[in-house]
Amino acid sequence: MLLSLMKKELLALSRDIHGLGALFFMPVIFIVVMSMALKDVYAPENKEVSYAILQQDDGAAAKKLAERWQKDRPGALAAPEDWREQVRAGKLKYVLQIDKDFSATLADMDGKPHVAARLLADPGLDNGVFETSKARLVAQVTQLRMEALLAKLPKQMVKPDAAVLDGGALAAAERMAASTRPTAVQQNVPAWLVFGMFFVVASIAGLFVDERGCGALARLRSLGVAPSRMIAAKVLPYMLVNGVQALLMLAVGAWFMPLIGGDALSLSGIHWPALLLMLLAISAAAVSLALAIACLVQTHAQASAFGPILNVLMAALGGIMVPIFVMPPVMQQIARFSPMNWGLEGLLTVVLRSGEIGGVLPEAGKLFCFAALMLAAAYLLFRRQV
Amino acid sequence: MLAIRDLSFRYPGAETPALDGVSFDAVRGEVLGLLGPNGAGKTTLIAHLAGLLPIQGGSITVAGQPLAAARAAQPTRIAVAPQEYAFYATLSVTENLDCFAGVGGLTGNKKRERIAASLAVAQLEHYRDVRAEQLSGGLKRRLNLAIALLHQPEVLLFDEPTVGVDPQSRAFLLDAVQQLADDGCTVIYTSHYMEEVEAIADRVVILDHGKVLKSGTLHELLADGSMQLNIAAEGGEEDRLVAALGAFGTITRHAQGVQLAMATQPALLAALAAVQAAGLTIRYAKFGSANLEQLFMALTHRSLRD
Repeated sequence: MLLSLMKKELLALSRDIHGLGALFFMPVIFIVVMSMALKDVYAPENKEVSYAILQQDDGAAAKKLAERWQKDRPGALAAPEDWREQVRAGKLKYVLQIDKDFSATLADMDGKPHVAARLLADPGLDNGVFETSKARLVAQVTQLRMEALLAKLPKQMVKPDAAVLDGGALAAAERMAASTRPTAVQQNVPAWLVFGMFFVVASIAGLFVDERGCGALARLRSLGVAPSRMIAAKVLPYMLVNGVQALLMLAVGAWFMPLIGGDALSLSGIHWPALLLMLLAISAAAVSLALAIACLVQTHAQASAFGPILNVLMAALGGIMVPIFVMPPVMQQIARFSPMNWGLEGLLTVVLRSGEIGGVLPEAGKLFCFAALMLAAAYLLFRRQV
Repeated sequence: MLAIRDLSFRYPGAETPALDGVSFDAVRGEVLGLLGPNGAGKTTLIAHLAGLLPIQGGSITVAGQPLAAARAAQPTRIAVAPQEYAFYATLSVTENLDCFAGVGGLTGNKKRERIAASLAVAQLEHYRDVRAEQLSGGLKRRLNLAIALLHQPEVLLFDEPTVGVDPQSRAFLLDAVQQLADDGCTVIYTSHYMEEVEAIADRVVILDHGKVLKSGTLHELLADGSMQLNIAAEGGEEDRLVAALGAFGTITRHAQGVQLAMATQPALLAALAAVQAAGLTIRYAKFGSANLEQLFMALTHRSLRD
């Protein structure tokens, strides 16, 4: 009995072109588009930022600053006559202006300090790039100032080598990833995979409205099919659909994205049982929610509107569309209650932080509890309808 | 085979019961015509038989066994061919049959045999791979029939199975229903088309406001009805017709004359003589017993129900 009902669900879904589009193609398109669009957010390509150096000082310190700046960012252009217009228009991302008194100011320990090197940036320059460039300029000028200070000390004093003053030899920053580097693909595949898996809401609700409206449900009931079996017959096929979605999205991230110039999703070294547990938990939550919604809506119009709207809202709140770290504190608190956020955090724990079963248990547990709650609601609603 | 006794049911919040002490029997090998205007209680009764509503009062037994126990032991003993197209539009004819056969517990060769037999009875062999949504109205009704036949039910309920089909499909469906009864099935057939019920029903139950108004064989019901004289005179003259015939029974005016329902022993010749004696020239006259539709209208009255 169960097999016949499950086969029927899969056949009906396979002929629902719009449903298939929403379940398989939409998340793939999101992964491709968003990963390419956000590629530089996770790996800004400084070498592609066009800039110029306006060298107005021939002093040794000024030359050193220009030289050290270009060491990290090769490809400096000579500042054209109309460099201000070009920066304002975004043709040049910034200009490093070294004033003509830069070397003298740097060496003058007695006078009142004033700005002698400045970064003049395009108004549209990414804030991250702007802030890191500014910090780097301040650090390099500080180091040059210390070198100038040392040079002024009496000759008989023991002077440290200039390299000792390089803070870079003493301090470093790195991401705590065990094996993988965070990229747009590494972030986007889990996010849009969760989003896509929850899209079963629209498909299940639509097919359920059909089934109820045409009297097929009543016919099944008259054939002695218990409501619990009818629900089980919908849960299993759609969990299978979620499984196919997951394989497809991971394959797109791992193999398709590199073909079109994006980063590849790295799955090497991840804990596969933890990934499987998270996928099962997300699928159980998505299908159960879908069943509860399907039992709640009465018409096709309600099904086709309510499902996608709920999905988009959950995605917006859950950090799928907007990372939660950019949200205000209140919204961050709300996001912690979103099943999509639990799913996303669990997947990121696996694919970015090399998390194992223990690491994803909190998120998986919350998702399974949510699934149980939704299944109970669906069962109660379903019993009233058939 | 099927015995319904004092069946009562009231929907939550309803002022009046949907079924109020309904009793009748459906016999193996016979077609029972279940008639009633909209809201009479037919759908509620069918929902009970399909196991979709609990019994609040009274009883339903199948071959002496309470309905709930009979359904629990073998849900497929009673099948319903509902008014709606109760199948999956995007599945083909065979896929639908395969689904409902499997749900009812058929497997392997038995399942294949029953699907083939049901396709044959409904004459759907040429459409087996066509999606249900692409079938015409008549073919959809035949698919509804085929699904109902899959499990060889002992009791079959047809809920207005000929709505929206062409005369050829209607004739085919009526023949199929009659054949099922001839093969030993107990058939309950509801329809608003009185001529269909008159054509195939062995027994008739007329239901209204949740109560049985009349039940019996078709012959008994029609014999119980009054003899009727429909008559019209030259030049209209309805008032003079009413005056001449008033003593012979109940008169109803029509657009084209009057109808005289003779309450006592028919006195046709005397009535016609009274018309002639009143100096009226008879333009049209028809005499005979009431048909099922007239009986139905007389019992349920003519007021609209929806």
